[in-house]
Amino acid sequence: MELNSPLSKRLLIAAQVLALIVYAAALQFLIHTTGGTLFVFTTAAPVLIAVAMIMLGGVLVHHYRRSHSLFVFATFEPGQIVFRQGDEGDCAYFIHSGEVEVLQEEGGKQKPVAVLGKGEYFGEASLIGSAPRNATVRAASRTRAAVLGKDNFLTLLSLMPATQEDVMQRVKERAMKQAAR
Amino acid sequence: MNVFQQDPVDYYGSRFLAVLIVAGIALVLYSLIRYRGRAAGPVPWGVLLAGVAVLPILVTSAGTVLALQRAERVEFCASCHLTMKPFVDDMKNPKSGSLASLHYANRYIADNQCYVCHTSYGLFGTFEAKKEGLHDVFAYYTRSFHLPVKLKHPYPNGDCLKCHGESVKWLASHADFKDQVFSGELSCLQCHAVKTPAHSVALLK
Ligand code: HEC
Ligand code: HEC
Ligand code: HEC
Repeated sequence: MELNSPLSKRLLIAAQVLALIVYAAALQFLIHTTGGTLFVFTTAAPVLIAVAMIMLGGVLVHHYRRSHSLFVFATFEPGQIVFRQGDEGDCAYFIHSGEVEVLQEEGGKQKPVAVLGKGEYFGEASLIGSAPRNATVRAASRTRAAVLGKDNFLTLLSLMPATQEDVMQRVKERAMKQAAR
Repeated sequence: MNVFQQDPVDYYGSRFLAVLIVAGIALVLYSLIRYRGRAAGPVPWGVLLAGVAVLPILVTSAGTVLALQRAERVEFCASCHLTMKPFVDDMKNPKSGSLASLHYANRYIADNQCYVCHTSYGLFGTFEAKKEGLHDVFAYYTRSFHLPVKLKHPYPNGDCLKCHGESVKWLASHADFKDQVFSGELSCLQCHAVKTPAHSVALLK
């Protein structure tokens, strides 16, 4: 699951809606204190807050574990989206087997711009620049990839200057290719 | 409410609570509109945590203090109209002659008259009363109560004695049988309810 996946977005929105319900119950109690409003506020509000905090905590832990993951293998079925253009980037992917398509989205249309295979990597650009994903990546065939979280990826680069140069070179090439289109 | 004395808990508590609620709603709306459920980086997470966790916890804590306070008011008792209104009307009727009315009309009890007569002192007296009260409110709104309303336990002498029991005047006028009254063998109401019942209500059936 990608950072800011639809599920994590939905959970965060649901938690915020629960918080709004708590505020509404508190406001109703404050303005018009009766047995009913007091009962709803004192019994339901703590439960809603607990549920909202569990949702928030779940997403937070998920985000943390994603950006600290150390070569976790993930498998993507043909057609499955690895991440979407515009998403927040938290991981880089190193292809172990299979192939992925890189798609550029423009005005609602998806244009294939590259196919990457075994031994290649992607998703590094938004880790270095902290920019959103600049393309959508979709598995073309059943793909196994090693996933490296942002923090570990950056540590790796700082420890291995040769790798860093190589990666920077690749980021530059890809950026120029994109600009040329 | 007493016109001559502001209740500081309610006065400051309700304003504080209002500010917290408005701040909380503003934060959540801002975060919903600005980030639409995506959270990356410390600022969006900070706004989210403040609006969904920190402020709601403050709101419920401050709100609970205020709730405990407001639940003691006569208006609060009266909000369960079907069951409590006859008792409130009786108490506020100076011609009624009931004990509740006498204590109210002369302000022998200054504030929260129902609550004062119907809770026992002691560490858990007020807590116990509120716990049972919460249960009663539930019964009221689910219409699972039975008329006429009765007390769960016989009215304890202690609830009258907490005010009268150490009064020189009372001790003098009740000298002959005060021991039986203290031990609970004799209820205040056995004598007093004859002339002055606790409440003069035509009990609803
Ligand atoms: C002076 C003290 C006093 C005050 C003030 C008072 N009560 Fe009572 N109340 C009593 C006593 C004593 C009884 C027990 C009567 C009995 O057992 O015969 C009682 C009984 C009741 C009962 C049980 C029904 C019954 O008649 O036995 C209800 C309900 C009740 N009170 C509600 C209220 C409400 C509501 C208020 C405020 C509007 C209130 N009381 C104020 C002393 C008081
Ligand atoms: C919050 C304190 C308080 C409580 C509780 C209380 N009283 Fe009183 N009551 C007073 C005060 C103060 C007076 C006026 C002084 C006096 O007459 O001793 C009074 C007066 C009375 C009087 C004389 C009324 C009159 O004006 O002729 C009676 C009878 C009486 N109380 C009975 C009771 C009984 C029975 C209870 C319990 C159901 C009770 N009181 C509970 C404070 C209280
Ligand atoms: C054996 C009967 C009896 C019992 C029990 C009794 N009283 Fe009385 N009480 C009287 C009588 C009689 C009077 C004086 C006449 C009157 O006011 O009706 C009186 C008067 C009072 C008065 C007004 C005068 C005064 O001394 O302050 C209060 C207050 C009072 N009682 C409170 C209580 C309380 C509280 C209890 C229970 C803890 C209680 N009484 C139990 C019989 C009783």
